[in-house]
Amino acid sequence: MVERDVVVNSDAGIHARPAMMIVREAMKYQCEITLIKDDIEADGKSIMSVLGLAIISGSKLKIRASGEGEHELVSYILNLIENDFKV
Amino acid sequence: MGKLTLRYFIDGIGRIDLQLRLLAGEGGLDKEIKTGELNRPGLALAGFFDYFAYDRIQIFGQGETAFMNQLSPEQKIKVYDDFFSYPVLCCIFTYEYRPDDLFLEYAEKRNIPIFLSKRSTTRFITLFVHVIDEIFAESVTLHATLVDVFGVGVLLTGKSGVGKSETALELIERGHRLVGDDMVVVKKIDESLLMGGGSEILKHHIEIRGIGIVNVREIFGIRSVRNRKRIEMVILLEEWDSSTEYDRLGLDEKKYTILDIDVPYITVPVRPGRNIPIIIETAALNQRLKKVGINSARELDERIKKWIINEGGK
Repeated sequence: MVERDVVVNSDAGIHARPAMMIVREAMKYQCEITLIKDDIEADGKSIMSVLGLAIISGSKLKIRASGEGEHELVSYILNLIENDFKV
Repeated sequence: MGKLTLRYFIDGIGRIDLQLRLLAGEGGLDKEIKTGELNRPGLALAGFFDYFAYDRIQIFGQGETAFMNQLSPEQKIKVYDDFFSYPVLCCIFTYEYRPDDLFLEYAEKRNIPIFLSKRSTTRFITLFVHVIDEIFAESVTLHATLVDVFGVGVLLTGKSGVGKSETALELIERGHRLVGDDMVVVKKIDESLLMGGGSEILKHHIEIRGIGIVNVREIFGIRSVRNRKRIEMVILLEEWDSSTEYDRLGLDEKKYTILDIDVPYITVPVRPGRNIPIIIETAALNQRLKKVGINSARELDERIKKWIINEGGK
């Protein structure tokens, strides 16, 4: 299991498109992926679940993955968030 | 939700507006409500302060107000001095009985919010307990979909991509109601009652692969949604796995535990060509039958056993 903390800095937070970018990548992996904000867990493979976290600029997130490809997926998502979803 | 403060009393908590009016003590509105319990301060007003639960919400009903009204000005000062020497959380006057100006002055000075309610004491307490219990209830957010199927709250779980949302959509199309898709907030209202609601932000939106996000309420109308529903059964949708033994009889009841409450639970294997919504409708109806005391599997089993005994005796 891999777990990393990250703070979202992009001005618009994680709205529909950024959520889709996370989910689209997550779906390529076998591992389970969870985004956690304020103890609320969201499935990283579900757009609605990620959107439901209401992640705004400044939100602290925990990203947890377990299973095949966990390291690659977590670092991909961290990279997305740290680069404000500009790829 | 974060800290619950007295400010919620005026802004409205959850679905119910307590309709309280603030008379004094605005400076104390950011005090935290730590317990949902109430206190009737009659004994304290009469001078008995042992066990005075000052940190609870104080309810002044007809009795308390009548007592205060018959006090002489000198007595009032004595009573209020004593009463307000405690860091009282707040006071609520029912029946819209407005306390005297001296009382309000004391409260204002000590930043103790005083509220007025139109309701009768009993009505107010009932309503308040109902609202506050829900706020203090243990809760958990689940990655699942909640649908009201024939009046039975069915929580659909399963891995992403197994078709929870598509199944929900088909159920909605068949006249059932969506509570929440992909994110359900479950609250333990009572030792045997789990209430599920959708996320405030997502409301009744659903994501369907190939179409994207759709607003169920706008497309299917108000009758296709509801805000909360008691969770009465859990259905796990999973990819059909030929090596798994699926339940063929339904004699053994499995339980799914949410917040320490056991909920009837079944696994429905998904495979192309299998009509999942009809299976879920049947499961929900079967659950309702069980609730009224009819267990189809067990009854058939009993009948067959009886028949075997009788036939065997011939």
